[in-house]
Amino acid sequence: APPGGGEERELALALQEALEPAVRLGRYPRAQLEVSALLLEDGGSALAAALTAAALALADAGVEMYDLVVGCGLSLAPGPAPTWLLDPTRLEEERAAAGLTVALMPVLNQVAGLLGSGEGGLIESWAEAVRLGLEGCQRLYPVLQQSLVRAARRRGAAAQP
Amino acid sequence: MCRIFSHISSLKVALRHGHICNFKEDLRVDGRGCEDYRCVEVETDVVSNTSGSARVKLGHTDILVGVKAEMGTPKLEKPNEGYLEFFVDCSANATPEFEGRGGDDLGTEIANTLYRIFNNKSSVDLKTLCISPREHCWVLYVDVLLLECGGNLFDAISIAVKAALFNTSIPRVRVLEDEEGSKDIELSDDPYDCIRLSVENVPCIVTLCKIGYRHVVDATLQEEACSLASLLVSVTSKGVVTCMRKVGKGSLDPESIFEMMETGKRVGKVLHASLQSVLHKEESLGPKRQKVGFLG
Repeated sequence: APPGGGEERELALALQEALEPAVRLGRYPRAQLEVSALLLEDGGSALAAALTAAALALADAGVEMYDLVVGCGLSLAPGPAPTWLLDPTRLEEERAAAGLTVALMPVLNQVAGLLGSGEGGLIESWAEAVRLGLEGCQRLYPVLQQSLVRAARRRGAAAQP
Repeated sequence: MCRIFSHISSLKVALRHGHICNFKEDLRVDGRGCEDYRCVEVETDVVSNTSGSARVKLGHTDILVGVKAEMGTPKLEKPNEGYLEFFVDCSANATPEFEGRGGDDLGTEIANTLYRIFNNKSSVDLKTLCISPREHCWVLYVDVLLLECGGNLFDAISIAVKAALFNTSIPRVRVLEDEEGSKDIELSDDPYDCIRLSVENVPCIVTLCKIGYRHVVDATLQEEACSLASLLVSVTSKGVVTCMRKVGKGSLDPESIFEMMETGKRVGKVLHASLQSVLHKEESLGPKRQKVGFLG
């Protein structure tokens, strides 16, 4: 594993590469959008949660975006019949033979980010994991939409004197 | 003659991507097909004071890898294993962007990717690097030097790392324990008595660049400039995938990803087969082989 700060740099790059396709950067020339994610507690699928939170934060900030980015984590449970588990807990991640994080822009159906490693086996196994992850992202999308709507309503209600 | 005409007919598509390439006929600017690699030159044992080294030239991309085996203490969570450490140096000679600290970011990214592709039990048998559990083990310091940047860095670097690991010879040591219980490490007298690593399961990276609606393998600098997103797949000779990563600021269609994964597996198998045969052929030439080194 990369020593010390190496892991953080890698995850920061993954976050950047997943958010870039979603943000309308052309609307903000000469500007720099700094996204910083602080992991308070890692209970599993930390990168996926950071991706989702970062996209929601950008949307909440009013940054123009093509679509939200939804992240989903997966890990491969080892054993005689390896199966891919969606949204693993920390324990499942530690015991896993392989891990994968996918980031999807649900409305556009475009994969914004993909990062996986380990002994996931053959291509077919990884393809199945990616499919499962993308499906998971689609299922999460309504929840994110509702939270943004709620926040907008709250802001609207607070603005009225 | 007809080749030129077909280039002109696809000019509309080409201008949109700023690059002249006819994908319908599987033809790129330099005449390659979408799944063809450029000519690869591999030479091992180029640096004398390392445990193993290799130099790979893939088109204009030039990579030098040196492996040094040193004794260290095993990691706490893996007491019976040695480990690998990767360092990547983007030389300022490679491209003007690497001047000063410009190459650091790319170097860290490549090193992190190398850690990722080797982060599993089967790539390198780390147990062979153990000398005595919890006390001594071999640490392989893999140093990658980017001499020239001509596109498709990840692939070239992974080929060079595999060749260097193939070339690595680790001196055989014995642990002697005397009556008081204190251990002594004895190096074998014979300088040719060494352990060679098995690189059967060492993966190679295949980068597939998405250009327009198709994807290409082994992109040149110009092709990389036209590509917004790429998929990096690390695949072993048996077709086992150890790492997958989307690179770049664009997004990928899910169907493209599945197609690219299939291509990566196919191309990876061919790459491994040819690399294996080249390495064995070079080895079989023995110490009398003509070395090209840096002056050829």
